[in-house]
Amino acid sequence: MRLLLGLAKAIDALSERVGRIIAWLALLVALLSAGNALMRYGFSYSSNAYLEAQWYMFSLIFLLGGAYALKKNAHVRIDLVYGRLSQRTQAWIDLLGTLLFLIPMALGVLYLAWPWAMTSLAVRETSPDAGGLPRWPIKLALLLGFALLALQGLSELIKRIAFLVGVYALAEEKGRGVE
Amino acid sequence: MDLHALMPPLMFLALILFLLSGYPVAFALGATGIVFGFLGIALDIFPPALLRAMPDRIFGIMSNQLLLAIPFFTLMGIILERSGLAEDLLDTMGKLFGPLRGGLALSVVFVGAILAATTGVVAASVMAMGIISLPIMLKYGYNPRFASGVILGSATLAQIIPPSVVLIVMADQLGVSVGDMYRAALIPAGLTVGLYFLYVIYVALFRPQWAPALPLEARPDAGKEPEAAFALLSYLLVGVGSWKLGEFLQLPAWLEGLEVLLGLFLWTLFLLPRIQRNPLLRRALLSMVPPLVLIFLVLGTVLLGVATPTEAGAMGVVGALVLAALNRRLSFRVLYQAMEQTATLTAFVIFILIGSTLFSLVFRGVDGDLWVEGFFTGLPGGEAGFILFVMLLVFLLGFFIDFFEIAFIALPLLAIGAEALGIDKLWFGLLVGVNLQTSFLTPPFGFALFYLRNVAPKEVKTGDIYLGGIPFILLQLLVLVLVYFLREPILRFVGS
Repeated sequence: MRLLLGLAKAIDALSERVGRIIAWLALLVALLSAGNALMRYGFSYSSNAYLEAQWYMFSLIFLLGGAYALKKNAHVRIDLVYGRLSQRTQAWIDLLGTLLFLIPMALGVLYLAWPWAMTSLAVRETSPDAGGLPRWPIKLALLLGFALLALQGLSELIKRIAFLVGVYALAEEKGRGVE
Repeated sequence: MDLHALMPPLMFLALILFLLSGYPVAFALGATGIVFGFLGIALDIFPPALLRAMPDRIFGIMSNQLLLAIPFFTLMGIILERSGLAEDLLDTMGKLFGPLRGGLALSVVFVGAILAATTGVVAASVMAMGIISLPIMLKYGYNPRFASGVILGSATLAQIIPPSVVLIVMADQLGVSVGDMYRAALIPAGLTVGLYFLYVIYVALFRPQWAPALPLEARPDAGKEPEAAFALLSYLLVGVGSWKLGEFLQLPAWLEGLEVLLGLFLWTLFLLPRIQRNPLLRRALLSMVPPLVLIFLVLGTVLLGVATPTEAGAMGVVGALVLAALNRRLSFRVLYQAMEQTATLTAFVIFILIGSTLFSLVFRGVDGDLWVEGFFTGLPGGEAGFILFVMLLVFLLGFFIDFFEIAFIALPLLAIGAEALGIDKLWFGLLVGVNLQTSFLTPPFGFALFYLRNVAPKEVKTGDIYLGGIPFILLQLLVLVLVYFLREPILRFVGS
């Protein structure tokens, strides 16, 4: 169990670090997009590379942020029943949900997206638009995002089990963002 | 029993069950899609090619420029929230209108509308008003129930006044343009603000003990208020006047903008002696300029069709940064928190969208859309019956779940019915959007109620907060009815 908790801690640290990167992306993408808009209105200049960089960064925020939000327990739940349950029962629900929902979903998407991303990589796919960016890196990022999500799921699983057998205290934080 | 026909109701039931378990919505949705997808292939209900479309669907979300507006408007809102904008506005407007009976409440509605058009974050508005205005209102004898209600109602304006993130999500789900959605939303937004004003005036006239005027000793600038208020009003008239003049002279858009600015500048020169003499007027002008510039920069450009919502949102972030820096509220810590919250919100919102996309891909694969369509077209009363059903459903769902879940899970299913009955999507989205405001105010899961409880002084009972919201829920429902009957004018307004 100690070893497993060590693993969970390492995964948490990884997600935390990724979270710090995507936080910066959130600011950078806004500045980039404002720059693009100014160039378009001021100088009637627009470049597909910069426009595509916008949604590449946006995609990275949520693809990589999915695991971070899971670590922070920020994903939206329907609290109707869950909110009234004891911490133990909640841990059971999270345990089963991770096993039955999160990990199958992440692995399912990985299974389906693997050939899709690999084809893109093999032919070094690029944007169909002139001056656009290579397409394959962002498709690989989708794989990376769901892999991180599955990994964070594993960490949550370990922490819930450790809590249920009484060797770990779950933080009661609810990292819900802003409405 | 035909297995194929059984799949849609089974999938739907499974989803409800999974959602109710309390496990994060995004994964409950996605897993239902994936599991039933593989089940469907194993049972030979649809070809494996269906699931192979899944990566492309996720890719479609990634490359959707429109959704970029979500982090932009969120980041802009959080930075503005920390920039002291709300505090300045509430303080000066309270002083300005305070001498009137019901004046503090009027200033809350007014500031609520301005905050909605800039920060657009319900939680931020509730907390700012709960911390600044509520104690003042209580101190000078406002009825706690009425005071709480005004704050709750005004804060939820953020949902219906552009650049609301909900409107973006709904436009995306319904396949209408965000610009049109924003333009259309101006009508219910105006109606709601107008009805709130009327209600406050009604209370001031017929329940004066609920909303007393500020006593003389609470007015450091006593006697200066009327001049300041009329001066502000005169700006509105000068602004609209020079805009109309520009239209009359058929100036090109940029020249018209310049002409309006010139008009306002000349008027300021004219008023300068008064501004120098009247500190209240000076503060009021200083607190109004930044939000109005931002509203013009962000909303004006979208509504005029000059900029896309994404571009406007990005410019709004820059504007918010500049404003926060000017107010000396921009520190590394504030900035980092805003970025981090934005990234987290973007991640969990888009993940719900991914989950709901996975679900609906498979749900359509098992002909769930036909099943839903059959249910909706089978409702008695045709179009009116359908609308009534949907409105009741959304209202009731609003008691238990919040707008993200309704917009991402229920709306796509409801849209199938709207499409089958040939109902205009824009108008339908507006009805749902107005209705969704109530979800913030209806217990047990009204987020605005929670936020206000967290910041309200202890002498305000929880019951006061819950009951205080009721008149405003009723006013919102009245707007809903008005929007229902104003369908033609609204669509004409958007078309123009």
